[in-house]
Amino acid sequence: MQESQERADYTLIARKPSFGLPTGCPICLPVYIHLKFASFPFHLNFNNTFPDSGTYVAFNDENGGLIERLREDGIVDLDAAFCSLPEWISMKAMVSTWLAEAVMYELWVGSDGTSARAIYYSDLPWLIGKALFMKQVYVVKQRFGITKENAERKEAEIYKRAKIAYGALSTTLGDQTFLFERPSSLDAYLLGHMLFTLQALPESSVLRLALSEHGNLIRYAEKLKSEYLEGGSSSSVPQFHSEASSTSTRRPSNSSSKTKKQPKREKTEEEKTFRRRAKYFLVTQLVAVLVFLSVMGGYDFSEVEVDDDEGFSYD
Amino acid sequence: MQESQERADYTLIARKPSFGLPTGCPICLPAYIHLKFASFPFHLNFNNTFPDSDQIPYIESGTYVAFNDENGGLIERLREDGIVDLDAAFCSLPEWISMKAMVSTWLAEAVMYELWVGSDGTSARAIYYSDLPWLIGKALFMKQVYVVKQRFGITKENAERKEAEIYKRAKIAYGALSTTLGDQTFLFERPSSLDAYLLGHMLFTLQALPESSVLRLALLEHGNLLRYAEKLKSEYLEGGSSSSVPQFHSEASSTSTRRPSNSSSKTKKQPKREKTEEEKTFRRRAKYFLVTQLVAVLVFLSVMGGYDFSEVEVDDDEGFSYD
Repeated sequence: MQESQERADYTLIARKPSFGLPTGCPICLPVYIHLKFASFPFHLNFNNTFPDSGTYVAFNDENGGLIERLREDGIVDLDAAFCSLPEWISMKAMVSTWLAEAVMYELWVGSDGTSARAIYYSDLPWLIGKALFMKQVYVVKQRFGITKENAERKEAEIYKRAKIAYGALSTTLGDQTFLFERPSSLDAYLLGHMLFTLQALPESSVLRLALSEHGNLIRYAEKLKSEYLEGGSSSSVPQFHSEASSTSTRRPSNSSSKTKKQPKREKTEEEKTFRRRAKYFLVTQLVAVLVFLSVMGGYDFSEVEVDDDEGFSYD
Repeated sequence: MQESQERADYTLIARKPSFGLPTGCPICLPAYIHLKFASFPFHLNFNNTFPDSDQIPYIESGTYVAFNDENGGLIERLREDGIVDLDAAFCSLPEWISMKAMVSTWLAEAVMYELWVGSDGTSARAIYYSDLPWLIGKALFMKQVYVVKQRFGITKENAERKEAEIYKRAKIAYGALSTTLGDQTFLFERPSSLDAYLLGHMLFTLQALPESSVLRLALLEHGNLLRYAEKLKSEYLEGGSSSSVPQFHSEASSTSTRRPSNSSSKTKKQPKREKTEEEKTFRRRAKYFLVTQLVAVLVFLSVMGGYDFSEVEVDDDEGFSYD
């Protein structure tokens, strides 16, 4: 970074808050927490337009996640001390697979769907929301390879792995504040997972009940939440700790949901916008056609009279 | 176990050997290795009838059957039933647990991806479909490719990115395992199911995947992992003969009696399991039947499409009169 370069403001685009969480989406939340851990100044904006896009959060899916992307680009890096530590690596694998999958399963298949609808589809017309929800349930089942025959077994396996993971994390954490002495992306993922599980999933959720059994994990979550997520206001005013030697200048925050992006990203964004809109258009059309057919099906066509127009003659 | 009870023989049913491996299937191999680590006596039989079955590998002894699609896998099942347990000392160790998670997700997924999507499919066909007619094998292969892509959520748009992520995670995992292993013989001092999974993964990657495989090349970079694999392979998999004659270390106090090995692929099962097995057999056969029918219809249509029907003459049979 050049000395003369102004420090640009960063804006995190996430899904809107729900369930008392700064953002309701379980994929966005760890990213938010990560930036908070790093005391990295950013604005928070919301975009709920594309509910079935898990990729939308500022391209969260590129390079294995936004957190990873920020790290590689040198913007936010909490993991420098840990990323070659086998225990840290394997624990991150466990959290990002076993626990992430458990939440995905619980959110879409294991619970009754009210949480998912509140987070993703509350702004859409009920019918579209319902259709998209059912589509996402199907996608999740495909992802887990769930069929009628193995549904029960698969569910048991998912819960079992999550419980084993909770036990391992509880043992690792002990009385510490962080899993590995200092905050890292591992804590961001775990805290995001825990807050989502405790606040957004229903009280009857098997996953939530399993998590609640580990007192030290609960204390860990509450402590970090009050320290990092509720310090100051929970709006988009950021904590400001300057780590670069250059002076940072504040620009007026850009509150529209479309922020400045590199030209390449704009193109991809427009492409994706177009595809999403096309999809919605098709879905709406299909629904309209189905409605039309069901309504028309009630008509008795034989009663429609054909009027011969006597004004015409055919030679 | 009663003193008077004879120690029943256990038979592991797996897919047939390929690529110099005792069993060619990457799911069966860790189970085989696990039993070898435990010096657990067993016979080895093969069943290649159902390429997409989740039940294989399974182990049986008398009326006891343990399938792979139960309780998180065959190894886990045997552990819970108290038959083979290498993990008692480790199963509450966080590092061991998380490393097992890493191996059973990141590495297992990498192999699945490489086998079905990342490579040209010759390995998969050799392992699963070599006994089937080419057309059926091809159809089942394409179906499995589709299923795997669904599992990974791979679409045309994200295919490249997803592939990069899968390889990257595997490389990170290899690094972590290499660091953990160091110069040791096992990852955690004594053999455990974690070593069984890792060794199975490594042997499969090194021997069954093509030389150009990205995954294989990444693995070759870790010398100590390669030495680990070679040492364990020669010690546990090639000691004695590589046929189904098992190493025999008796740990029970009762004398073991050998019964003549049952070489038919259908053996005694509990009535409930029989029913499930028959049901599944029926479903598989119905599926194959439908696939064959569909293929036959398609072939017929494509062949018939070449005929010019207007040239077919209609013969009026003058012997008939219509009143």
